[in-house]
Amino acid sequence: MRIAVVASGLSVPSSTRLLADRLAAATAGRVDGAEVAVVELRELAVEIANHLTNGFPGPRLAAAIETVTGADGLIVVTPVFSASYSGLFKSFFDVLEPEALAGTPVLIGATGGTPRHSLVLEHALRPLFAYLRAVVVPTGVYAASQDWGTEGDGYADGLAERVDRAATELAALLSPAAGSRGAPRAAGADRRAEADEVVPFAERLAALGIDPPADRRGG
Amino acid sequence: MTGMQFGIFSVGDVTPDPTTGRTPTERDRVKAMVAMAQRAEEVGLDVFATGEHHNPPFVPSSPTTMLGWIAARTERLILSTATTLITTNDPVKIAEDFAMLQHLADGRVDLMLGRGNTGPVYPWFGQDIREGINLAIENYALLHKLWREDVVDWEGRFRTPLQGFTSTPRPLDGVPPFVWHGSIRSPEIAEQAAFYGDGFFSNHIFWPKEHTQRMVELYRRRFAHYGHGTPEQAVVGLGGQVFMRGNSQDAVREFRPYFDNAPVYGHGPSLEEFTEQTPLTVGTPEQVIEKTLTFRDYVGDYQRQLFLVDHAGLPLKTVLEQIDMLGQEVVPVLREEFARRRPAEVPDAPTHEALVRAAATEPEGATTA
Repeated sequence: MRIAVVASGLSVPSSTRLLADRLAAATAGRVDGAEVAVVELRELAVEIANHLTNGFPGPRLAAAIETVTGADGLIVVTPVFSASYSGLFKSFFDVLEPEALAGTPVLIGATGGTPRHSLVLEHALRPLFAYLRAVVVPTGVYAASQDWGTEGDGYADGLAERVDRAATELAALLSPAAGSRGAPRAAGADRRAEADEVVPFAERLAALGIDPPADRRGG
Repeated sequence: MTGMQFGIFSVGDVTPDPTTGRTPTERDRVKAMVAMAQRAEEVGLDVFATGEHHNPPFVPSSPTTMLGWIAARTERLILSTATTLITTNDPVKIAEDFAMLQHLADGRVDLMLGRGNTGPVYPWFGQDIREGINLAIENYALLHKLWREDVVDWEGRFRTPLQGFTSTPRPLDGVPPFVWHGSIRSPEIAEQAAFYGDGFFSNHIFWPKEHTQRMVELYRRRFAHYGHGTPEQAVVGLGGQVFMRGNSQDAVREFRPYFDNAPVYGHGPSLEEFTEQTPLTVGTPEQVIEKTLTFRDYVGDYQRQLFLVDHAGLPLKTVLEQIDMLGQEVVPVLREEFARRRPAEVPDAPTHEALVRAAATEPEGATTA
C-alpha cells in the first residue's frame, strides 16, 4: 500500500510536518506493507508557481505529482493561513488533473497557533477534497500549539487519541476488505493508459450524426 | 524541396521591446511578418506560417489576406497557418479562402487546423467553448467534403444547412490543400488526423518533450490502424524555438530580457530551466543543429520543422538575422543530417505537386468533374 503524505509547512522543522509524520506513522502501523512517501511542498514552491504560469511541471514537481496521484491513500496537512489552507497547499492541488484523486482515501490535517481555527478542516479542507471526489475519512486532525503539551479534556480527546482514531479510519479504507467501500479508482499509471485510449473516430462522427467520407466507410 | 521542410511560424504578438520600451505599431508588426516571410524564401527556407488571433496584442486576424500578399512576392515559399481556427471560423469560408489562395499561389498553400487558446473567441464568434472538440470534428467533416465534392448537401449541429452548395473556386487541380491538425494535448485531434490520413503538428515549444512524444506516438499508431501506411509513414510536423549568436554567451545575454518578459512563459522559470525542460535552444547555430537533431529520437523521422523566432518584442533586424542564420548555417546541415538518417519508406513532406501526382495514380481520384 502506497501512502503519500503532503505537508505544506513553511518552517523547518514545522509543526505541520510533525503532525504529518505522526499521522503517517499511526497509519503505517495499521496497514500491512505500507510504503510512506512524504512530499514537502515548501521544496516545490517555485516549481508549483511555474506550473501555474506555464502549464507543465518541472522535474521534481512531476515526480511529486506522480507520488501523490499514484498513492493508494493520502495524508494531507496544511498550516492555517488567513482562516484557510495555505495558498501553497491549494496551489499544489490546483495543478493536479481534475480526476487525479477521484476515489482516493484522504486523511485531512491542519495546524495553527490557536484552537479557534479548528473548523478549518470542515469549512475548507473537507469541501476541497469533496470537490476532487476523494474519500475523506470522518476524523480530521487539527493540532493547535497547545495540543502538543496538553491532554484531552471533557469536551475532546487529546491529540494522540485523535491521531489514532483518524489513522484507524484511513487504515480501514486501505484494507483489502474495504475494496468495495471506496469509490472505484485506478492508480496513476492506469489512468494515464486510459487517457491514451481514444474513442474511435467513427463513433465521434456518428455521435454528431455525420457520415464518414466515402473512402473511410467500413474502415 | 523533397524530404523535410523547414520554416518559421509567427504568433504575431505586438509586445514592447523590454530593452528599449518601444512598442511596434500594428502596421509595423504586420509589415515585419511579411518581411520575415520574404527573407525566409531568400535564404532558402521552405515554409512561412502565420497564427490567427482575434484579440490584442496579436495582429494576424486575417491569414489568407496576409498570405495572399506574400504569395505575390515569393516564388517557392509554402504558405501555411499555425493555426487556422476550425472551431470558430465557418468551414465554408475556410474552404473558399484557402482554395482562392491556392490558385493565386500556384498551389504553394497548406494549412494547420487548431482550436485556439483564447476562450472568449468562441462566444465572440457565436460558438460554445464546451463544444470545442465537436466543433473541430463537425466543421472539418464539412470542410473535407466541400473540397472533395462539387455539390454538397449538408446538415449539422453548428451551422445553417446547405442544399446544392458549391464552394468556389474549386481546389487547384482538384486537389485540396494539405491539412495538418495541430494540438498540444488532445488525443481526439491526433485521432482525427489519423482517421483522415492528414498530417499532425505538435507545437512542442512550451511543454516538455514527453507530451509531444505521447501525442505523436498515438497519432502514428492510429494512422496505421486506419490503413494509411505504417506508423513511420505518418506525416508529422514539430515546432521549435531558437535564438542564436556566434557564441552562446552572447546569445544568452541578448535573449534573456526577452525571455524573462515574454508572453506565456515570462516571469516564470529561468531561461536555463526552460532550455533544459523544453525544445528552446539559446546558443550557437551548432547547438541548434544538435538539439533539433534529437527531436527525431522521440518522434521518429518527420516531415516539417517550424521555428519560432520573432516573439516577445524582438526587433525586426534581430529577427531577420535569426532567419539568415537558419537559412545559411542551420537548415542546410539539418537537411543533410536528417536525410542521412531517414529510411527510404518515410514519405517526403507534402507539396501540391506531390498530391497532384498521388491523385492521378489513385483508382478513384477526386470527384471533381
